[in-house]
Amino acid sequence: MEANWKDNEIQDFIRQAYQQNFDLLRLESGISLTPEVKRAGLLQVLFYWQKMRDVALNVSETEVRLSLPQQESPKEREFGIEGVVDIVREGGKTIIYDIKTHDGDYVRSHIDQYEDQLNVYAHIWKELQKQPLDGTAVICTDFPDDVKEALTSGNEAQLERALDRWDPLIEIAFDRRKVKDTIHSFGEVVDQIEDREFEPRSVEELRGSYTDRSNVSFGTHVCRNCDARFSCAAYRVYVRHGRGRADQIFENYYNDLEVGEPLEEWRTTGLDSVGDVEGMI
Amino acid sequence: MVDFNSQISIMVKSMLNLETLWKLSKFTPNEQQRDAILYVDGPLCITAGPGSGRTRVLLCRTLNLIVFHGVKPEEIFLSTFTEKAAHQLKEGLRGLLDYATNINGQPYDLSKMYIGTVHSLCRRILNDRRKFLQDFHVSPTPNLMDELSQYFHVSRTKTWRKLVSVLNLDEDTDPHLIINSIFGVQKMSKHSAVTNCIAFFNRCSEECIDPLEAISMLKASDDEFDTYLQSNSLEKDALVQAFSLYNAYRESLIQSEKLRNTDFSLLQQDAYRVLLEGEDTGNVFKHVIIDEYQDTNTIQEKIFFQLAKGHKHICVVGDDDQALYRFRGATVENFVDFPSRCQKYLKTEPKRISLSTNYRSRKKIVDFYTNFMTYANWRRNSGDGGFYRFMDKDIHANKPDDGISIVASTPSSPANVCSEIAQLVKDLIDQGKVEDPNQIAFLYPSLKATHVETMRNALERLGLRVYAPRAGRFLEVDESYDVFGVFALIFGLPEIQGGWGGDYGEFGDWLRQTEINAKQLLKEDPALKQFVADKRAEIETACSDSQALMRVADRENWSLTEPYDLRQMKRKVYSAPGLSETGRKLLGSAYLDRTVERRATEGRPFPLDYILKRVTSLDWSVLDLFYRLTGFTHFKAMFDLAQSGEDEGPICNLSLITQYLARFVDEFLPVLTADLLVEGVFHKVFYFSFLFSIYRLGESEYEDAEDPFPKGRIPFLTVHQSKGLEFPVVVLGNPRRRLHPAGFIEKAIFPFCENENSEPLSRQAEFDSMRMFYVALSRAQNLMIVAHYKGRGQSTNEPFKTLLDDSFPRIPELDLVTVPSFSSKENDLPKMYSYTADYLTYKKCPRQYMIFRKYGFVPSRAQTMFFGSLIHRTLEDLHHEIIRRREEVSNGS
Repeated sequence: MEANWKDNEIQDFIRQAYQQNFDLLRLESGISLTPEVKRAGLLQVLFYWQKMRDVALNVSETEVRLSLPQQESPKEREFGIEGVVDIVREGGKTIIYDIKTHDGDYVRSHIDQYEDQLNVYAHIWKELQKQPLDGTAVICTDFPDDVKEALTSGNEAQLERALDRWDPLIEIAFDRRKVKDTIHSFGEVVDQIEDREFEPRSVEELRGSYTDRSNVSFGTHVCRNCDARFSCAAYRVYVRHGRGRADQIFENYYNDLEVGEPLEEWRTTGLDSVGDVEGMI
Repeated sequence: MVDFNSQISIMVKSMLNLETLWKLSKFTPNEQQRDAILYVDGPLCITAGPGSGRTRVLLCRTLNLIVFHGVKPEEIFLSTFTEKAAHQLKEGLRGLLDYATNINGQPYDLSKMYIGTVHSLCRRILNDRRKFLQDFHVSPTPNLMDELSQYFHVSRTKTWRKLVSVLNLDEDTDPHLIINSIFGVQKMSKHSAVTNCIAFFNRCSEECIDPLEAISMLKASDDEFDTYLQSNSLEKDALVQAFSLYNAYRESLIQSEKLRNTDFSLLQQDAYRVLLEGEDTGNVFKHVIIDEYQDTNTIQEKIFFQLAKGHKHICVVGDDDQALYRFRGATVENFVDFPSRCQKYLKTEPKRISLSTNYRSRKKIVDFYTNFMTYANWRRNSGDGGFYRFMDKDIHANKPDDGISIVASTPSSPANVCSEIAQLVKDLIDQGKVEDPNQIAFLYPSLKATHVETMRNALERLGLRVYAPRAGRFLEVDESYDVFGVFALIFGLPEIQGGWGGDYGEFGDWLRQTEINAKQLLKEDPALKQFVADKRAEIETACSDSQALMRVADRENWSLTEPYDLRQMKRKVYSAPGLSETGRKLLGSAYLDRTVERRATEGRPFPLDYILKRVTSLDWSVLDLFYRLTGFTHFKAMFDLAQSGEDEGPICNLSLITQYLARFVDEFLPVLTADLLVEGVFHKVFYFSFLFSIYRLGESEYEDAEDPFPKGRIPFLTVHQSKGLEFPVVVLGNPRRRLHPAGFIEKAIFPFCENENSEPLSRQAEFDSMRMFYVALSRAQNLMIVAHYKGRGQSTNEPFKTLLDDSFPRIPELDLVTVPSFSSKENDLPKMYSYTADYLTYKKCPRQYMIFRKYGFVPSRAQTMFFGSLIHRTLEDLHHEIIRRREEVSNGS
């Protein structure tokens, strides 16, 4: 059987599929990626194959849609919940995997959120569909900082060590008591959406940190990347309470595009994709 | 021997049967509906009259196939007329399958089911390399241009010159005049020439006409052919020219061996070719189901029969009386002639079922439109008899209520008729006969008729508000004036030689008006004024930097195409006299140096030209600029209105603007460089290639998919827009339509089509008009009102002239007490929410959810989303590959 899994063959397959999907998505969405980001994406998949080979080899169903119909929100709206997972059956054991392109640090600092999600999926699988289940887990494909550093330095040995230390798999315990609460909370969100409650996060939350381990704030990590920030009341307050003269802040506020490398990368991608300008007229 | 599997399936069936599911979904089918749901063997032709439960039947039939006949969702091909219809079917099916799963524990995965419009399914066939075994490297998926991109493509100088050149015109003749005259139009407008060409190209593609074959047929034409041309006053030369243009267009789509464009019409031919070339493609789907079959065209018919070739389970559903899309190439004959087409393609007869009970309208309405259709002569001219219509449908109302439900106005002048109807509408609203004004629809053959304005004024005089999405151009909504006006102040308006005449007249007026509006905005908001000044200054700096750098290149005698040499050149350009701080920073960037070196070692060094462009490029795209504008009071207020739920109109229009600007960023200029700004190239591309196209194509205002008509407003729609909808009250605002004889395109392609039992050119206009009014008349649930104009310059078409006789009920005779009050039923399909895309996104930030998920704004730098989908799809591919290899191993051993 091993003969069928020649490493370089699978790696070639990944590279080819990655490029094809890249081309298709680019055509569909009209969006492109900077070369750096594109490379990082390919590495995520290659590392997944390297680190999670046992899981990958035993996947029995991929992109399985789970749905929990006929729920009722606190305000008596009927709704359903749906999600997509991968299923692995091996040696009589069944495990649900949710693959995320998030980094492990973020997942560990928001573990409650992931527990809630996988518990709902487990509930659907086990109690609604009456299928056996032995565990659930999140796989984080974004590699940690020390792997990134090793990649930048180009030091093979350092990379190997960093990869060894990295565990992309985070097991999630099934706790059926929490399922009810999560579904209830989901129902509240359904009511909020249908009742059109669209207030932004509070200024305090924007100032709070994004993950437990870092001191980057929510405002920097999420809002700075959100085009809606310019018209957002909370973000305005968040930005204006910085240092410096008021008019200077105002100016910066409207100019807070990416700076440094991301901006340079944006230029590279943009200039690369400019076609024949004369032909456009 | 006992078959274990069949035992199990009997056990499951005893717990779960169709009746249980019907009960759960609150549906009791009538006899014909039941027949249609249960008939699953061989070809089936369902004629479904208006309001006869077509969607329910389709849903239950598909459910029956999946749950009780073991057909896998991926073995079903289900094509609908709109994406919205596909979405509703899919959601409905999911709901019903979820019920089934909860009873029998069997999960059903719809993600691999082929369900959507023909176009999206064709696209899927081309991308589905697993199912259709195409080698992606041999036949790469073509790049699909939508209608707007197709217009961009044809009208851009490069393509247009190629097209014109095949006509071999003298230099002093006006090509636009010549091209328009081919299509029988006397105009100098390029826009008109382009749209005429596109309409002709698309029809040719849908009829699978090979332009070169057509030309050689014309050149070798016989007497019979010449007689046809003469009797239809067609010039042979004009036809040759038209097909030569089409041929040149098809050649213009090929960019290189690996890169090819396609349009919505040719896409279908591409898919059909894959089906013909692939192995056993007639067995990929066990069931092929086509909704709205009366509006399919020739190439689609070929695709459907090819897909159904193996199993022969093809089910078509439609209503020939509601065929509306001949002008887009639809041929109702596909449906009416379906029985003999089945013989031809599949060598078997279809079963015919007629869904004839109308659950929508009150009895008098149904009687009226059923009778209406008998006023045309549908008999075929040919010897073997038969009709151009299914004659045996027996449409009848389910509601026994025999009260007056269709009335006409008192015959009078437009002014009187409109006030009489407006007053009735106001009374209906005041007396609570409808829940909201948006439940009363005004339908017109065209919204350009003068009657529309008269009616609108009459309603507005009574304090009623109207919503007319197709009556104006999108760029004429207030939000477009505001956004593009500020853009005009930042970039400046283009100059045009010889003034804004001809084609550009109205567009020029529009542009100048946006500028005037924006100046007012700046007066009201000094911060916005400052912002505009800053952006102008940035542009000026970039332009002067560009000139400063060019002077250095001149001085040093560098060619712009030679490689940028860090050691030789950097110092000299860096110290260019007059170079700004910004320019220096960009030139001195360590990132740039690294990239330059890397490219040099890779053997593809940057030319000097690239560097000059790069260091004089702006930090923002037009979409970035848009989002910065949304921070200013005037624009921010529109977001606040949506957030508070007061008015969704402005935010929907802003969202559409982001979608257009994103297209400019994708298809034209992602980065703005100074050379383009200095030489006016940007202005040509932005204003003429891009904005002018959108202006002239006059696309509609935003229509929300779920709730298309804003509350509090009376919708004014074309009959075409009302297809598939129903309203408690409908007003037919103009029962008159001019019968145009077949146009150039119809006449020109006729001899090259297959024309099996097709309607003769001379009858088409009359038939089309009958069908259009049939659609209009069958939209009403409780009350149908017909405007009856009389007097100077007014006339009424047959059969209205005869039908609206002296004994026909008139508005004054209508006792409003007899009109039932309408109350909308609960939406029977509960909504599904995604754990990640809805719940988690909302929890991250409710406002971000609203703007991007609910209203569909296009983010300016959307890498994150793209990145996530790319990785997930690749992992999915990897898993599929592993599963496939594993199966190979186990099958082998």
